[in-house]
Amino acid sequence: MAAIFDSRTAHWASVPDQSLAESFARREAGAYEAAYRSFGPQMRATAMRVLHDWESASECVQDVFLYLWRRENAYSAARGSLEAFLVTCARNRALERLRQATRSRAATEKVEVRGTYVLEEDPIERERIARAVARLTEGQGAVVQLAYYRAMTLSEVAVQLDIPIGTVKARLSAALRALRRSLIPQDNHAT
Amino acid sequence: MQPDEHIGESAELYALGALEPAEQAAVEAHIAQCVQCLRRVGEAEETLLALERANVVRAASGDIRTPVAFMRRHIVWLLPLTAAAAFIIGLLFPRTTPQSPHDLATLAMIGSHFSHAQFTGQGAPAKVLYARDRSWYYVIVEGWHRYAVYGFAGGARLKLGETMPSGKTSELFTRSSGRYDRLELFDRSTVAGTATIR
Repeated sequence: MAAIFDSRTAHWASVPDQSLAESFARREAGAYEAAYRSFGPQMRATAMRVLHDWESASECVQDVFLYLWRRENAYSAARGSLEAFLVTCARNRALERLRQATRSRAATEKVEVRGTYVLEEDPIERERIARAVARLTEGQGAVVQLAYYRAMTLSEVAVQLDIPIGTVKARLSAALRALRRSLIPQDNHAT
Repeated sequence: MQPDEHIGESAELYALGALEPAEQAAVEAHIAQCVQCLRRVGEAEETLLALERANVVRAASGDIRTPVAFMRRHIVWLLPLTAAAAFIIGLLFPRTTPQSPHDLATLAMIGSHFSHAQFTGQGAPAKVLYARDRSWYYVIVEGWHRYAVYGFAGGARLKLGETMPSGKTSELFTRSSGRYDRLELFDRSTVAGTATIR
């Protein structure tokens, strides 16, 4: 559930995530605010994992919303989860920033965050994800570690593992689908 | 990739942000027309979200004075503030009339980091949101009250303006180069509230 402001009653009301997604897709003003409130923290955490900096992560979240406000048809409810879409946007925006700025801070470094915020890991989720990653084939696990956790480009992964870029693509795609089967309840699978 | 071909494994690579710009544009053009591939991209995004679920940002100190924490605890106060709504409406329907404090504050807040402080005193409940670099201040008073707002820096005092009724609140948005250590609200000659700026 998310909260959305009803201007007629001047109160916040709970709405199902699907309703919020549809309102967001229609670019209704209140939906942007509700999405920011509901999903901003996860977006910021994701950007912070990539950038290791609270302020830069916050700017990423702002960048994403600004970009989406200016762009029509960026999101459709048929795509699926609005939260997943927004978190992915935040991650990709953070990667852009990282690649534009510097490659000196690898994503696997110990997290050191300036300011009053720290990035923590939920131990239960971490364990669940670790088990899912461990179930990947060796080749898939390697590309996930480099492309996802260390934010390397496909070309960099190919060089690092000394395999063709087409193989990197195939393994990464297969890995993500395998992780989906492990991490997301079967009932939610469309295929 | 031909226009009539499904995107296949590019769906996952697109979600990962791993495609070159031309490939990315091709995927976007395709999923705008193909629900099946759009859904596959959405599934990849859900998987990425599942991987990100382990990450949580927490305040290192007990005193949280950031936008998100502030919104969570005082959302009613922020009704006029956060929305991107004002911004997008402004983009879509540019107005020739002067923008309200609410609109100006929304625009300012989108591009900066801000904190807040509560006014204490005998007057109506009030808060001030301010940029951490002190480039702007946004005073919100509950109800309709025309308060004079003064900024204090050292021994100096400067009138920043007056709150103006707006919906269920009265507001003043001001851009200022002053780094004030406190703000005071005056109801005629009586101090209605004082807020300390940290």
